[in-house]
Amino acid sequence: MNEIYYLILLPIAGGLLGLLINRLRSEFNFLGFFLTLFFSVRFFIASQTKILSFNLISFAGINFRFYVDNLTGLIILFNGIFAFLIWLYSLKAVSKNPRERFYYVYIALTLAGANGVVLSGNLIFLLIFWNFLVFSLYGLLLVGKKDSTFAARKALTIIGVSDFVMLLGIVMLFVRLGNVDFPLQHRLIFTQGWYVVSYILIAVGALAKLGTMPLHTWIPESARVVPASTLAFIPGSLDKLLGFYLLFRISYSIFDISKFGGLQVLLMIIGAVTIVFMSVMALLQKEAQRLLAFSTVSQAGYMVLGLGTGMPIAIAGALFHMLNNTIYKSVLFLGAGAVEYRTKTSELDNLGGLGVKMPLTFFSFLIAGLAISGVPPLNGFYSKWMIYQGIIGLADRFPLWFVFLICAMFGSILTLAYNLKLVHSIFLGRRPDNLDKVREARFEMVTPSFILALACIVFGIFAQAVPLKYLVAPVIRFDVSKLGFWVPGLATILIIVGVLIGLLVYLFGTAWRPRRSRVFIGGEILETDEASITGPNFYSSLHNLDLLEKTYQFGEGGAFDFYNYLIGIAGGLAIVFKDVINRILTTIYEGIGRMVRVLGTFISLLHTGELYNYVGWIFLGGIIILLILVF
Amino acid sequence: MIGFDFFVDRFGIFLTLLFGFIGLMSFIYALVTIKEKGHRLEYYLMLLLLVGSGIGIALTYNLLLMFIFWEISTFAIWRAVAYYRGDQELAAGNLTFILNFAAATIMLLGILMVYLDNGTFNIFEIRAINDTAAIFILIGVLTKSVTMPLHIWLAPAYRAVPAAIGGCLAGIGENLGVIVFMRLFVTGTFFSPPFFNTVAWIAVASSIVAGGVALRSDNLRNLLAFSTISQLGFILLAFAVGGTFGIVGGMLYILAHALAKSGLFYGVGVVEDSTGSDNLKNLSCLLRVSPALAVAMAFLAGSIVGFFPMIGFFSKLSVIVGAVQQSTASGVGAIIAAVFTLLYNTRFYHELFFGDECRSAKIKFKRPSYTGVTVVFILALISLLCGIFFYKPMSYLLAGGV
Repeated sequence: MNEIYYLILLPIAGGLLGLLINRLRSEFNFLGFFLTLFFSVRFFIASQTKILSFNLISFAGINFRFYVDNLTGLIILFNGIFAFLIWLYSLKAVSKNPRERFYYVYIALTLAGANGVVLSGNLIFLLIFWNFLVFSLYGLLLVGKKDSTFAARKALTIIGVSDFVMLLGIVMLFVRLGNVDFPLQHRLIFTQGWYVVSYILIAVGALAKLGTMPLHTWIPESARVVPASTLAFIPGSLDKLLGFYLLFRISYSIFDISKFGGLQVLLMIIGAVTIVFMSVMALLQKEAQRLLAFSTVSQAGYMVLGLGTGMPIAIAGALFHMLNNTIYKSVLFLGAGAVEYRTKTSELDNLGGLGVKMPLTFFSFLIAGLAISGVPPLNGFYSKWMIYQGIIGLADRFPLWFVFLICAMFGSILTLAYNLKLVHSIFLGRRPDNLDKVREARFEMVTPSFILALACIVFGIFAQAVPLKYLVAPVIRFDVSKLGFWVPGLATILIIVGVLIGLLVYLFGTAWRPRRSRVFIGGEILETDEASITGPNFYSSLHNLDLLEKTYQFGEGGAFDFYNYLIGIAGGLAIVFKDVINRILTTIYEGIGRMVRVLGTFISLLHTGELYNYVGWIFLGGIIILLILVF
Repeated sequence: MIGFDFFVDRFGIFLTLLFGFIGLMSFIYALVTIKEKGHRLEYYLMLLLLVGSGIGIALTYNLLLMFIFWEISTFAIWRAVAYYRGDQELAAGNLTFILNFAAATIMLLGILMVYLDNGTFNIFEIRAINDTAAIFILIGVLTKSVTMPLHIWLAPAYRAVPAAIGGCLAGIGENLGVIVFMRLFVTGTFFSPPFFNTVAWIAVASSIVAGGVALRSDNLRNLLAFSTISQLGFILLAFAVGGTFGIVGGMLYILAHALAKSGLFYGVGVVEDSTGSDNLKNLSCLLRVSPALAVAMAFLAGSIVGFFPMIGFFSKLSVIVGAVQQSTASGVGAIIAAVFTLLYNTRFYHELFFGDECRSAKIKFKRPSYTGVTVVFILALISLLCGIFFYKPMSYLLAGGV
């Protein structure tokens, strides 16, 4: 099965040759990415009909084997597509970066690692590629548009620690089972505590990759300092694909999570909390890429929530949502990047009215924004709807199922809110004077987002005919007849409730605390600054709402930041180790040394050099020997 | 009693190749950095003594011969540490020698007890080691392979030693203890689970504590010293838990650590030569000074942490598999130590090469020597190649009949 090697080695070869021979870089990169895409498509088609597995090498009880089924083919296909589109976009977008050469190598290495992760059929083999991705992620983040070293360090630390945790989980499983090939003939049911522990440990790795709370913080940290294409590529698409892949594999191919309610609830809580908090954080951001970074984290919550339900329809929905999310989130990131490429800013306060100037970008951005908010004919609506149905299906097992439903729907409303804000403040509203000369972005930058926006529409309108039938249904068997079954009453009520909550927010926020402004006297020409309402001011009344404001302040202050806690704990321990334990040990040695010196001084005092003293000592010694001999 | 008592097995060949290579790199690095003529001869003598005694310990089966090589290496380390005859260097050298010699004397006592019990020095014929003898020998092992309560000599020694031989000290000198431990206790016939458990816990504790100290160290040499202590904890843990994965993992770890730590030592030496400082507080933004050095040291630090394309990943993986096979708790301890490793390596790497504001504009620096950077780069490349073709050394060791 040579295609497997091609999928891993071609991108590496293309990237490294491009690095070494700088003059032919684009050609080599093109060959690498295009051929990988070509083989990905072929591979996808082949994987629909047969399941394949074979051993590369095996020693010490570890089988380094490949395993290919429908899901593998699907993820490989998306990896290839995204890498190619991102490469196309980057041709112009990253061309001014001084470290452009390395950027492409890391993109290529990431693609190779991602393909390797998906192709491997053994957890330890998977771990090798997984670890490789840390390396390429670190390198890719270091190629920033500004000083991105701190973000890279943070990402390396968070992902590295979660990888070590995952390594422990895999090793525990390996030691207990004697082999970690998957999928298993008989999935493990959580009969022993060790299985639960190792499931959670492995899930930490998957969740860190997927970027759920509290392991998400490197994504918003890097949002301001790395190119938009990096964000679209790693947290936007590839990490979601891989994180979902691993979480799906361990939850349904190795273990069987649907038999263990505790872990299901744990996953669903993580998902729901991530959705709500990160949507709130996104709502109050003032910079496009940072807003999108929080948005991408919150969308990951839906996938975890859907996977956690254990209902086939919600799992299918989660998979579909993950595919959709990679598509429209890439469009949004790339669109924001295109705007920044032309306007040199991504602060929402300084943008506005670019819809006329950049119509194609506007179109794709708008479609993606509506899709992510779950507006019905588009794809985001379908996948979210499937997840909702799965949650509703839980009604007879979990009495508190409606909490998760409310969280998911509330998150959806917030998503719509922040996307409206984003679209308005970039493309609508009043255009600042300095942006009058802005043109549509380059062809290479517009094409990928346009193609992906079209995919949003196709995936939405023909959801059952195309993506669900060809992409999702082969992976997860679910009852298609349930789809399209609309529960108008409940949905409408919930939407109305959402609107009511919005109204309440408005009333509590604004009606009771009137906003102060200068009195308008007729006939005056207003300053332009006062006349324009920029997007960020949409929800400024939310700042007045105590709970949301507190959440936001906590979030911005780093309260959700795993990295801060880790550094704090490790730093505290380090102080104890260095200034207590190590100092005590050093002091003990110094004390011994001092005692020896004192003893030496004492003995040297005894040696006065006078004969009488020595004679006295000899007598004393003789008496002692005599006493010892006598008794 | 004593004769030409050498034997060759796969572990021996493996270690011989490794030590020879580390010594060669040290020699090349020294060509440009050790400048004093005449005095320089002493360096070469000590280098060869260190390499020779390391290979001797790796290849002999006679316990007494092993002890003689052990003392030769102690002597070589002593003279190497006191190579520059300043007050601090002499004091560090004396501390090193006194501690190592005292521990070696206790170890000799243990060896003699073993001889009295068995009537032979041949480690393949030793049938019984009583616990007292084992503990006496262990004291010598822990002192040479700096482990936490007996680690005190390493930091001053690292601060004093010339970088050229410091790489050898990290790559050869400190591994001798664990090699004796492996030869005598693990692949021998010594069986005492409480003893091995205790050693495993000492190793884990030492590894974690030293990792924490390294996280707080600003002096690069200090940081390397405590990093070495932390990593040797992993090796000792590997041999103490034993089993296929433990022993092979320990040998792989010796390989990974020797390559990476000697490379980092030379890297720090290059930094010192070019900036005149080895304190993290005075150094930053060295990426601009030498990108090649930054890349090479990224690989080496990555190998110490255990990221995939480097050999460090497989050694750490094997050690943790071995540890979990014995008891999950020690595996968890090893993971905590690994997290500390990650933290102090990212910290020192980032503060050295990036830094918040680029203060190196104030530091005067020379251009780093090409030879030094090349040596660091070669070591990084070997780490990388061993990592990519990990199955070569791994299957070679596995076939060694553990």
